[in-house]
Amino acid sequence: MTAPNLTAPNLMVVTDLTKRFGGLVALDAVSLQVRAGEAVGVIGPNGAGKSTLFNCLSGLESPDAGTVIFCGRRIDRMAAWRRSRLGIGRTFQRLELFEGMTVADHLLVAEQAHTGTVRIWRDLLHRGGPSPAELDHVRQVLGLLGLDDVADQPVATLDLGRARLVELGRALMGAPRLLLLDEPSSGLDVADTRRLAETLADVRQRSGVAVVLVEHDLDLIHAVVDHLVVLDLGRVLADGPTVEVLADPEVRRAYLGALA
Amino acid sequence: MSQLLSFALPGVPYGCVFALMAVGLVLTYKASGVFNLAFGAQAFVSALTYVSLIDGGWPRWAAAVIAVLVIGPVVGILLDRLLFRRIRTASPLVTLVPSLGLLVALPQVAIMVVGSIPVIPPPALVGNAQRVYLHLGSVPVSGLELSVTGATLVVVAGLVALFRFTPVGLEMRAVVESPRLTELAGIDSSRIGLAAWILSSVLAGLAGVLLAPLYAQVDPQNFTVLLVWGIAGAVIGRFTSLPLALVGGLALGIGQQILAGYLPPGVVANGLRPSLPFFVLLIFLPLVGTSRATDPLAGCDPPTSAVERAVSGYRSGATAAAGGSWESLAGGAVTSVGVWHRRLDGAAPTPLADRFTRRPTATLALVVGVVAVISALTWVPPDWLFTMNQALAVSIIFLSLTLLTGMSGLISLCQATFAGLGGFVAGQLAVHFGLPVMIGVIAGGLLAALLGVVVAIPTLRLAGLSLALATLAFALLADNILFPVSWVGNGAGGVTVPRPSAGPISFAAAKPFFLLSLVVLGGAALVVKLVGDGTMGRYLAAVRGSELASSSVGIDVTRLRVLVFAISAGLAGVGGAMSGSLEGSLSPDAYGYQVSIVLLAVVAIVGIGSISGAIVAGVVYEVLQQAVTTLPARFAGLVAVLFGLAALSYTRHPEGFLDVLGGRAERVIERARNRRATARQGSGSVPPPTGGPVVAQAGGMS
Ligand SMILES: Nc1ncnc2c1ncn2[C@@H]1O[C@H](COP(=O)(O)OP(=O)(O)O)[C@@H](O)[C@H]1O
Ligand SMILES: [Mg+2]
Repeated sequence: MTAPNLTAPNLMVVTDLTKRFGGLVALDAVSLQVRAGEAVGVIGPNGAGKSTLFNCLSGLESPDAGTVIFCGRRIDRMAAWRRSRLGIGRTFQRLELFEGMTVADHLLVAEQAHTGTVRIWRDLLHRGGPSPAELDHVRQVLGLLGLDDVADQPVATLDLGRARLVELGRALMGAPRLLLLDEPSSGLDVADTRRLAETLADVRQRSGVAVVLVEHDLDLIHAVVDHLVVLDLGRVLADGPTVEVLADPEVRRAYLGALA
Repeated sequence: MSQLLSFALPGVPYGCVFALMAVGLVLTYKASGVFNLAFGAQAFVSALTYVSLIDGGWPRWAAAVIAVLVIGPVVGILLDRLLFRRIRTASPLVTLVPSLGLLVALPQVAIMVVGSIPVIPPPALVGNAQRVYLHLGSVPVSGLELSVTGATLVVVAGLVALFRFTPVGLEMRAVVESPRLTELAGIDSSRIGLAAWILSSVLAGLAGVLLAPLYAQVDPQNFTVLLVWGIAGAVIGRFTSLPLALVGGLALGIGQQILAGYLPPGVVANGLRPSLPFFVLLIFLPLVGTSRATDPLAGCDPPTSAVERAVSGYRSGATAAAGGSWESLAGGAVTSVGVWHRRLDGAAPTPLADRFTRRPTATLALVVGVVAVISALTWVPPDWLFTMNQALAVSIIFLSLTLLTGMSGLISLCQATFAGLGGFVAGQLAVHFGLPVMIGVIAGGLLAALLGVVVAIPTLRLAGLSLALATLAFALLADNILFPVSWVGNGAGGVTVPRPSAGPISFAAAKPFFLLSLVVLGGAALVVKLVGDGTMGRYLAAVRGSELASSSVGIDVTRLRVLVFAISAGLAGVGGAMSGSLEGSLSPDAYGYQVSIVLLAVVAIVGIGSISGAIVAGVVYEVLQQAVTTLPARFAGLVAVLFGLAALSYTRHPEGFLDVLGGRAERVIERARNRRATARQGSGSVPPPTGGPVVAQAGGMS
């Protein structure tokens, strides 16, 4: 775990983010900050609104109220693909892989999509293939995640742990400044989770990417996160250094009490 | 007020019939997970039975009982057993194609069975259809209106009683509300499914029998239109609410008559009324699927977003329960028809180029192609050469579906509309402005592409079944509003499209035209191949795999979708223009919405996943039609029967029969090669030839 860098500038500032589904308030005036390079954990019981928060941050849902500022720009009304190109990568709690494509193709698509628009004219001139630089980057990320040996396999043949790594790799392709990881350890066994923690640390150390990590696995939280936010019923229950937050009696009652 | 009433009242019988259809559609959709587009055909079969029996001297009530209570459910149960039961959890295309096939084939089969459609005007269920029995204020009420309304009221009362008071009715309601919850409660949903299926078939039959007297004769077309109205009613009920569907259907029936009454007569008013379903679908379809809150179990899964739900469409209880995460992905591979970047057997994906160069069947295809071309230019008689020309033109249209549906997973039921527009533009420009026909063909393609954009933009949020229905309604709209206009399709008169010429070279004769078509088809195939091989193909595969993830890696899904719609519509437009030029003239009938239905089903059955599939589909489609004309008249329905059977077998081979046959041929060739190789090895000769490893798309990787 790296020491929290309290002098780093704010990468993302979320203010009073609110999202309703019909009568249900999934996010209720949520505010939080992420500094450049920092790792923030988000915990909370099922239905707390964690995934909805990610959807609002990455642009898959639009919030009803509140602002999101990323790198000094307001992004809360921006299309998801624009946010991605600005440098927000994410994974999904429920895997969202490109069924039928190989592992390498997953990364290649992300790499190309991040840099360009649809290159229809190049395609029609038969120049739509990947450039050496793009392939290089794909190979690099495959190596980083230890996916080289399955590069040419369709994702449907992978086990869950590997599949989650493919999602991580895909999110890393555009060299993002912020990674949103939605329960990356869910469905993984202990060994896989430990490897994931190491991989994450490795990735952060090399790229300095900031991470927001939604997790139920407190070991993983402890291993990765500097600073913890607790969500409950769409509200921020606590926000602060990991150790302090986990010691907070109210947090223990609302969340950990239910687990213990 | 009395004017409004006098407009509204004639709409009541229509409304009743639409309402019955809508309720039946929702019922089966929710209870069995299948949106049964063959429903219109079921209504027709009952109506035909009714009229035929009466024609044969049966009393009306007996004919109605047989048609509605016997034939209706029997056909319904047969369809369920033979088909729908097996495809509950399949992808939208796999559920759609067989029902589209049946929608077209079933009426033809029924007509063959009874011999011919009786020419008597279908009588009302009770009373004299034309006689005025009473007046509401000053508005006369005819026997037709009374009998239809009365019958519907009785049925609705029966439905209410069934749903309120009987156990099976309660269970059915429960299934409609939450299939998953019902299943968890230990209720056998397949038994309920069967009950719902029987009930909805009775409703379809009744709708058919009630609708029949509204027209002078029983005509399958009217029942497809009825289906579209029923769909609009079901969509108003969001595919979920039986009462809303009922009210929706009723409101549509009455609304269309009021609309017709108040609008000044003319093309627009005449066209607007039948296009009402399009607007209804456009407004209400995006709301479908946001009814998540109505399912009490909705919160128990990791939530899915609206986009995802639209893509995956409705899932039956069993898959939704299993669809936690990983399983659904693995399971999806079995039922989806993505054949573009990967083989269905799960082998490593083969790049498109390899599909042509590395497969042993490629040589075979090449030989067949060369022989066909040489034959066309030498010994083939004129009528068959014409057929071959038609095959080339329609192949171009099929290619547009290869791109749109096969590669992009977007189901379009308005491809014939794009083709028609292309043909009309080419003809109009040539005839009225004296432009060269080839310029007209290109302009036709461009305008069709523009129309593609026009269709793509309002349907951006739709996928799967919803997109198919919206495009179907759009085709209906175009048939009624766009094509009758004199400077577009010129109504029944049609448009003349001359044969092209380039400077001194004339393509008017069949053989030069054949060569020209060949070049145009080659160009179209090249476009599809390049798009499929390039960045765009990769993006399309990604979006098909997961729209959510695609946008989260930076793919502008909207733009991609508009673009692919435009390219596809453009190809269809070129195909339509070539086909028009071949025929010499083009009438809107040739590109009505029924044609779109047939085109999609045919190319899906043959193989929507490859360029060769589109071309073979074109050949099969035209050759079969031509072959039937050489047979005695009583075999006229044979194509329809074949088509229906093929549609039924499609569920077993969603990759298309070309892939199946190709796979078989490949195995035979491979075996022969191996045998030869081992024989040679035995005599101490060279090692066997290797096919070389399959290189993945990101070729330079290893
Ligand atoms: N698209 C949606 N439509 C309706 N309700 C939703 C939707 N997405 C999430 N919800 C609801 O919002 C609440 C928060 O969900 P979610 O963000 O997934 O929680 P978490 O990820 O913390 O488990 C839940 O009650 C969930 O049912
Ligand atoms: Mg979640």
